[in-house]
Amino acid sequence: MNTISEPYDDLMQPRTKSFRAWIIASLVVLFAFENSGCSTAKPPSEILSRAEMDLRAASEARADEFAPMDLQSAREKFEGSKKAMAAKRYEDARRLAESAQVEAELATAKAEAELTRRAADDLRRRLDTLRWETERGTIPTSSPASAKE
Amino acid sequence: MKLNIFLGRRTVNMALSLMAFLSIGCGAVQNPALERARDAYNRARQDREIAGRAGVALDKARLTLEQAERVWAEEQDVTEVEHLAYLAEKRIEIARATARRRLAADDIQQLNPQRE
Repeated sequence: MNTISEPYDDLMQPRTKSFRAWIIASLVVLFAFENSGCSTAKPPSEILSRAEMDLRAASEARADEFAPMDLQSAREKFEGSKKAMAAKRYEDARRLAESAQVEAELATAKAEAELTRRAADDLRRRLDTLRWETERGTIPTSSPASAKE
Repeated sequence: MKLNIFLGRRTVNMALSLMAFLSIGCGAVQNPALERARDAYNRARQDREIAGRAGVALDKARLTLEQAERVWAEEQDVTEVEHLAYLAEKRIEIARATARRRLAADDIQQLNPQRE
């Protein structure tokens, strides 16, 4: 074997050397790239737990009743985020958790707005009834009966 | 030879024009999701009810929008920009709902003294 390869040694050496250097450089670049990828995408546990808290707050604010679409979408994204997290797709998990969190917040805001508006409408209606009854003189507080006693 | 020089200049000119065109194009490249979020934010900011009653919520939307604009300008990461633009739009909706809630709360406050 040696006798055959010897005459070609001078010709082959520079080529194998440059090939080796190229392989090493590629490995270094690949390692650096992979490492940078790992350092930027961390498990978004904090965002996920914040989303969970906001989902709970939305349920307490009766978002199931007043903003069902937003709450449903938030829940689906929260579940999607947990699945992405289990599959170690951390970028997807982060985005889904952030969307879930903001949608849960929106569901709460919509539910609270609707509840407050209903309370205002209810109060206005009761005041209108009271005013109408006062004008007709059917309110017991202004009746002569209480004066007689 | 003269023809060669002419062709060379012409080629260089064409290449320069192409480069200029491409660079102008790059500068003006816009992201539809980002544009939509920016429009929604500008509309909300001009709405007195929202600006007056939900300033903090609107500020959060502005911060998210600015983050989306920064990512678009520096990284051109379409997925991240679309995600941030979506979050900004949701934050604008939150500001609208907050303004509606405060308006209703103010109504209650104004109606209450009439009751007494």
